[in-house]
Amino acid sequence: MSKHSALNTFGRSGNPAFTRNFDNTSAIPQSERMTLDGAVNKTAILLSICFGGAFIGWNMPALAMPGLIIGTILAFVTIFRNPAKAGTTAPFYAGFEGIALGGITVFAEAQYPGIGIQAIGLTFGILASLLFCYKSGIIKPTENFRLMIFSATMGIAILYLVSFIMSFFGSGIGFIHSNGMFGIGFSLFVVGIAALNLVLDFDFIEEGAEQGLPKYMEWYGAFSLMVTLVWLYIEILRLLMKLRSR
Amino acid sequence: MNAIFFSILAIFSLFVFMNLGKIKASKKQMDRDDRIKWGNRRRKSFFKNRSTIIEGKAEEVKDDTEK
Repeated sequence: MSKHSALNTFGRSGNPAFTRNFDNTSAIPQSERMTLDGAVNKTAILLSICFGGAFIGWNMPALAMPGLIIGTILAFVTIFRNPAKAGTTAPFYAGFEGIALGGITVFAEAQYPGIGIQAIGLTFGILASLLFCYKSGIIKPTENFRLMIFSATMGIAILYLVSFIMSFFGSGIGFIHSNGMFGIGFSLFVVGIAALNLVLDFDFIEEGAEQGLPKYMEWYGAFSLMVTLVWLYIEILRLLMKLRSR
Repeated sequence: MNAIFFSILAIFSLFVFMNLGKIKASKKQMDRDDRIKWGNRRRKSFFKNRSTIIEGKAEEVKDDTEK
């Protein structure tokens, strides 16, 4: 018995959000199960929709803020309300986030020409290199790894939320937006955490395909990757802007 | 020049993602004790491995057999 099949035999516990899906896999017909091919193809579809949205946002930057708000609402709906509906919500999420990213990129390009393509290149470069590291086993995600990344992600989210609320009172957490060494260091840290979230997405998709989760989880896996890629792109753009403004 | 380099990087990376993403991860990655526990299959595995079939030779039970 291999180590992995031993784990299968003696069981696992963990994320309650996925428990339902991982429990009922034996009743799902083979053709209705999640596959790696399906998840990758659906990611490609979402990326194409996102690029289409970015084209609209590039030409109409005023739509960036509505796109960002609607995209964020759709992301929360997909994550917390019904992952089974990811096939419907994820394409809309990709489209609206694309519009937002197109608008944000126009704003960044106006200040620092050429920054958009640099951010796109680096985002996909990180995606491909981390995928290689994951597939080859160079990076091995464990429970502690997940806990560490989850804690850091939540910490960053809370920091951004506090900074956002403080901005209404004419204040803010200065260093996270500054172009000093501390600000750049913080941005590098956030880019690192966003990139390592990709590894968790890869592991979820790989495990889901191996366990034969329902087909709709392909959309959910692709959606998870899209959320992380959008975040990574924004953080890389922020980092490059800080570096260029020095 | 900068734009060309980053465009090639983006296209090449997408190509790598589309091809490498469809390949199963290495055994080194999959056959580990400390993998992330994405789901709870303890119950299912427990019942799956408690087979009700008794191994051995089948014998006919007769009513006149001494107990």
